[in-house]
Amino acid sequence: MSNFFQLLMNEQFKLYIRKSTWIMYILMAVLIVGVAFLSNFGVENTPTYQAAHDDDWRQTLQDDNASMQKKMEQDEMMQGAYTGQIEKNNYYLDNDIQPAPYDTWQFVMENKFLLSLVSLLTIIVAAGIVANEFKWGTIKLLLIRPITRTKILASKYVSVLLFALFTLLFVLIFSWIIGAIFFGINGMDPHIVVNQSDGYAYVSVIGQIVQGYGLQLVTLVMMATFAFMISAIFRQSSLAIGIAIFLMLSGNAIVGFFSDYNWAKYILFANTNMNQYINGSPMFDGMSLGFSITVLAVYYVIFLTVSWVFFTKRDVAGH
Amino acid sequence: MSDTAMELIDVKKVIGNKDIIKGLTFNIHKGEVFGFIGPNGAGKTTTIRMMVGLMGLSGGDVRILGNSIKSDFKDAIREVGAIVENPEMYPFMTGKQNLTHYARMMPKVTKERIQEVVKLVGLEKAINEKAGKYSLGMRQRLGIAQAILHQPSVLILDEPTNGLDPAGIREIRQYIRKLAEEENVAVIISSHLLSEIELMCDRIGLIKNGEMVAIQDVNAATEQTTVVEVQLEVTPIQEAVNILTEDFGIKASGRDTLLIQAERDRIPDIIETFVKQNIRIYQVTVTTSTLEDKFFDLIGENTIE
Ligand SMILES: Nc1ncnc2c1ncn2[C@@H]1O[C@H](COP(=O)(O)OP(=O)(O)OP(=O)(O)O)[C@@H](O)[C@H]1O
Ligand SMILES: [Mg+2]
Repeated sequence: MSNFFQLLMNEQFKLYIRKSTWIMYILMAVLIVGVAFLSNFGVENTPTYQAAHDDDWRQTLQDDNASMQKKMEQDEMMQGAYTGQIEKNNYYLDNDIQPAPYDTWQFVMENKFLLSLVSLLTIIVAAGIVANEFKWGTIKLLLIRPITRTKILASKYVSVLLFALFTLLFVLIFSWIIGAIFFGINGMDPHIVVNQSDGYAYVSVIGQIVQGYGLQLVTLVMMATFAFMISAIFRQSSLAIGIAIFLMLSGNAIVGFFSDYNWAKYILFANTNMNQYINGSPMFDGMSLGFSITVLAVYYVIFLTVSWVFFTKRDVAGH
Repeated sequence: MSDTAMELIDVKKVIGNKDIIKGLTFNIHKGEVFGFIGPNGAGKTTTIRMMVGLMGLSGGDVRILGNSIKSDFKDAIREVGAIVENPEMYPFMTGKQNLTHYARMMPKVTKERIQEVVKLVGLEKAINEKAGKYSLGMRQRLGIAQAILHQPSVLILDEPTNGLDPAGIREIRQYIRKLAEEENVAVIISSHLLSEIELMCDRIGLIKNGEMVAIQDVNAATEQTTVVEVQLEVTPIQEAVNILTEDFGIKASGRDTLLIQAERDRIPDIIETFVKQNIRIYQVTVTTSTLEDKFFDLIGENTIE
């Protein structure tokens, strides 16, 4: 076990010494600052902002509701856009809660869309971590050490997960810092009103962050493991990146295309979105949280087993 | 036998339905430098890949200090250092970082040992530069450094002289002899150029089409009774020709320099007679090694480079 740690160090070293990895991080940093800059623009003029900073916040919310009501009467099209906001405002008014000001916690929460970017980067890393050793020819020097191929593969897989973890932490921490600079910090556990399956509720933002990011980790881990498998089979990273990203983007469309068939519920992408259980509306009849977890586990084990078989059993021959 | 470092027992490799290696059996002893010679595509690299476990064996076994590469991989490979084909390194890492990377994968390789090896292969100046900037010769040296880091009992080098300049080849040759003689390491060197490695080998195995055609002791090849080809630059030429025919029964050819075939141990006698008969000798050269002749015969002249 002690040399497993050494292997992990090697893998992490090889990953983080390369410029391409740093470019990924720099791009994410630029994106986060950009998003903060855009959100900051004109935030003071919104009724929610004013309500949060006003002593007379009840009046502000009522005025806001009235003006939205009026616009809805004039224009049927705006119905959908405003009802949610009106109900939210009403929840604050009914429960006599002053809305919390927009702050870094909410900024972090909204940045959960960045997790698709983290998934993308993790797929790129997962696709390269085995294939690149073949591309560089270093696989020959890597496999002639007193370490089993299984252990080397395991160290590479764990390295991918570590990369995902570090990148996720980077997004969280960097967003928080940038958010704090742009929007300030409103205590350590702010609450907001959100729409859940059983109506509106007053919930912790941190809880929302954990849920929002956590649910996307399912797709991240599954697709990274998939890319890892493809690269172990074909020893070629661009193919693995291509297939994994294509599937990630078209996953929902694939499920939709086969939605007439009952077996569609066994498709990986029918099960990666855990929101369906939080909203209480599973995609197919007969699906439950337990069902999805089982299906995901089966896919996961298949991905890893196939990777293992190809990596440990196949000859390392010339090109 | 206790002095056997590596044993190949009827090693076979079939890829698809092609017999690439057709049953190789030979031993390499501790402290011996074994030359593995064969034309392009003979199967040298394939055999080496099987020796180090990169390729599975279709038949037979490879044992390193008695441990099978198939069933005892870790114990067997622990005693092996190798370069397989080109010495490929991580181009974005420095020479030092490359060595540290491999050092982490093996037990008991200290910082001091890395330092020592870097000095041994003469890479001190370039060791903190990125390996991607290295010349082929420098990468070859780094490859050797990586192979000897953990002081293996068996060192396998696939075409290590590839890309080295003559000075580099001589250095490597001296270093390999030293490893074999002083540290009792068994060294296997493959090459398709006999002349490049003949000087550092104790024994040479000739492989062709996946079969071992001959195994030859380098010293035995230069036994006293073997016939060698000699070039003589002497004057006056006609007198020398007469002496050769009358006293030695040797027919000479050539006009400016004489070319003769003679047993090795007769060369001193010929020279002595020439001196006594006042024939002036400018040069005596043994032109072809008998080993090379022998190998040419075995594999056909046009196939060896
Ligand atoms: N993966 C493979 N699939 C099919 N045939 C292969 C494979 N690898 C090698 N061969 C064949 O095996 C034979 C031996 O190749 P090998 O690389 O071992 O030769 P070599 O003696 O090292 O030659 P060289 O001097 O050019 O390095 C060649 O005919 C080659 O075409
Ligand atoms: Mg070769």
